[in-house]
Amino acid sequence: MSFVLVLTTASLTSVGIYLITSRSLSRIILGFSLLSHAVVIGLLAAAGPAGQAPLADETSAASSANPLPQALSLTAIVISFGLTLFLLALARRQQAVTGDDLVEDDLEDRRIRQSSSDYRSEHP
Amino acid sequence: MILLLLPILLVSCLFLAASGNRLGRLVFPLAAAPLVVTFIWGCSQLVSTAPSAEERLVWVSGLSLNFIFQLSSLASLMTVLVSGIGICVFMYSFGYFSDDSQGLNTFSATLLLFSTAMLGLVWADSVWTLFIFWELTSITSFLLVGHKNTYKEARLSARRALLITAAGGLCLLAGLLLIADSAGTTRLSEMGTAEFSSTAAVLIMIAAATKSAQFPFHIWLPGAMAAPTPVSAYLHSATMVKAGVVLAALFSPTFAETGTWKTVGLFFGIASMLWGGIGALRQFDAKLILAWGTVSQLGLLFTLLSLGSAKATFAAIAILAAHAVFKAALFMVVGEIDVRTGTRDIRKLAGLASSMPITFGVAAVSAASMAGVPPLLGFAAKEAAIEAVLKLSGTQDLIAGGSIVVGSVITVAYTTRFMLGVFSTPSQEAASDATPVAPQSVGMSVSSSLLGACSVIGFLILPKVSTWVKSAAMQLNPEAEIYKLYRWPGLTTAFLVSAAIVASGLVLGWFAEKKIVAEAKPAGARFADLSVSTILRTAQVITGKMQHGSLPFYIATMAITASVATMPFLFALDVEPIYWSDSWAQTTLAILAIISSLTVAAVRTRLSAAIALGFVGLSITGLFVAHGAPDLALTQLLVETVIVVGFVVGLGKLAHGFPQVGVIWRGVRFLVSALIGFAVTAALVASASAPTGEPPLEAIAEKSQTVGGGNNIVNVILTDMRALDTLGEITVLVVVAIGILALAKPRLPSIEREDAAKENVI
Repeated sequence: MSFVLVLTTASLTSVGIYLITSRSLSRIILGFSLLSHAVVIGLLAAAGPAGQAPLADETSAASSANPLPQALSLTAIVISFGLTLFLLALARRQQAVTGDDLVEDDLEDRRIRQSSSDYRSEHP
Repeated sequence: MILLLLPILLVSCLFLAASGNRLGRLVFPLAAAPLVVTFIWGCSQLVSTAPSAEERLVWVSGLSLNFIFQLSSLASLMTVLVSGIGICVFMYSFGYFSDDSQGLNTFSATLLLFSTAMLGLVWADSVWTLFIFWELTSITSFLLVGHKNTYKEARLSARRALLITAAGGLCLLAGLLLIADSAGTTRLSEMGTAEFSSTAAVLIMIAAATKSAQFPFHIWLPGAMAAPTPVSAYLHSATMVKAGVVLAALFSPTFAETGTWKTVGLFFGIASMLWGGIGALRQFDAKLILAWGTVSQLGLLFTLLSLGSAKATFAAIAILAAHAVFKAALFMVVGEIDVRTGTRDIRKLAGLASSMPITFGVAAVSAASMAGVPPLLGFAAKEAAIEAVLKLSGTQDLIAGGSIVVGSVITVAYTTRFMLGVFSTPSQEAASDATPVAPQSVGMSVSSSLLGACSVIGFLILPKVSTWVKSAAMQLNPEAEIYKLYRWPGLTTAFLVSAAIVASGLVLGWFAEKKIVAEAKPAGARFADLSVSTILRTAQVITGKMQHGSLPFYIATMAITASVATMPFLFALDVEPIYWSDSWAQTTLAILAIISSLTVAAVRTRLSAAIALGFVGLSITGLFVAHGAPDLALTQLLVETVIVVGFVVGLGKLAHGFPQVGVIWRGVRFLVSALIGFAVTAALVASASAPTGEPPLEAIAEKSQTVGGGNNIVNVILTDMRALDTLGEITVLVVVAIGILALAKPRLPSIEREDAAKENVI
């Protein structure tokens, strides 16, 4: 396994997680894109060494790269593309509504936190 | 016949539940009808000597999961007790409730379902059938105890009962699984005796102890008094608490050679017998005295059954029958007193002997039977127990025997205290101070009198009773054949011991009545409630801490969890299959990708971040080319272009930079990111060290040409081998496109926008 690809996967994941833990929806989308890159590179790295393009009539099976993860990755790329665009549309909508793109705390969850502290004050 | 009776009983339950409030108190005679049929059949089976046939209802044939019933001798004795006392309880309910009571239909239906569950339990011959009915008794008793569901106390007690008995149910399931596995059969009648695992023995004994309210699981039983008296009378006599005894009895031959079974059983039995008796001596509520008395009596049964000798088993069955009869009668008496005087406190009750003569008579007979005074059924049964005790040897058995004697003294003592407290006239007060009494109700008097009479009748037909008890005992221990119950044993040692027990019990009871002024506190129950509420509170606090609404926190938590989960990989690393790089191009492009990804995180404006992201995408495209994946490279190039455009169109309006965050939170994010990067490295390297086979590259290439008819293998995989997946993928894109269209509608009207903004501020 190519250690360079491993390092690339790890760095993309790290930066992706760093961005996705932000409050800004646009940074979350950036992080998400990086994470999907990381996953595809990780898949390729895990599936074997680099080789020639897997074309049955031109390259021998032994010298070509593993085609199966490429097919899987293609699906991954397309789906994450769709998701990224959808997130961008959401961000744009939020901008239109609130004028900003910050992800606020979830109201329902905040209510749960509140009920827990209420419970504590009622039953000391 | 069982497969006929069970549907009748269940349909009756449904009918009662559906009858609404129209029938009023008439639901009780109706509910008793199917029990009368059961009772008559039970009696015929008890008298006949022919062995009953097995009845089977296939449930899941492939798993050999069947409802199997067979009426053993013990089962027919229990059938008579459960259905007979059930009939009395329904008659009693007819007098106990008034016509305008609410929910009588559901109450009677639940009570009948409860009896059905108990009957099914004693009829069962497959451990799974047994388990199902066992759980059904737990659930129905929960509903019955919580019948007065507008009272907090009733709800708490019902919850306590359910938690304890359901925990026992889980133990039972585990125990049954273990024993069915090692015995190789699920049939109780085919279990045989073998050296079974101690774990199974302990689990089944714990299950029996929870149901039978044995120390320290007894705490639910006194609370179960929150139920209406008919329920208490039934619960404490023939059903529920006896379910545990029946279970312990059924498995006593199976575990006869498993030492732990006896030890655990004796612990539960002795502790409950003594602690229950002491509890009964310290209560002032007449019903509570009886409830604690039940704990003590069941302890006696557990002790006798665990001793395992033929004589002790025989005595246990006799006491089981006698106890069912007198305890039901005594509870009915207390319920009647409660209804007619408005109190159950023995400090307030006085002089009822003259104002409630019938009730007094029933109470006196039943209490005497409980204390073991001749000429009553309880006496004959107690004699058998004392005789069994006198035959014991060995330290463990002698401790048990001694405890039985002490327990019997305490039983006589709390019985005496109960009778004195409720019925006697305090000498210093005038007769006019006697508690005022409302007129009696026929339904209540008749049924309690019937049960009271049974203690006498049982003694009169003692030879018959003796045969029934003997055949039930022989089912558990064939050596019990030689024993019988005596009306008059003669002046044997056992009789002298009994006489001494009664005498000392009377004295102790008289003292207890005079001296005990402080009421016992239900510490165990309070502890149980406290544990439950502590668990609930902890759960709520933890949920509040974990689920507090911040998305970044959630993601960080998940990332940390995922990283920690990969730590085991660190112990399986093998660097041999790892090499530095495939080519120089790969290294260069990877460095580019890493640097531009760091730029995405470092820049402060959206536009520059989007451009940096584009660079990452381009580097990745290059990596695909270097890896030999031209299809991926093409797709990535297109995708990347659209995404960068999307960023500019979508977020270009937000000119200002990203919001600033605190140093601490940024530090935490750094750490989490570093951790996950480390974890990903470890996981990937570990996956390289553990390949599970060679990829079938040649086969795929060949299939691609012969089946797919294409040379570009990746394309053939997508369009032929995974055609449906690709179709799904296209559908996802269509859905996304529709969603984006809907979201990208023209701007909201300005008013709506201001409102929404305000809402967000709040």
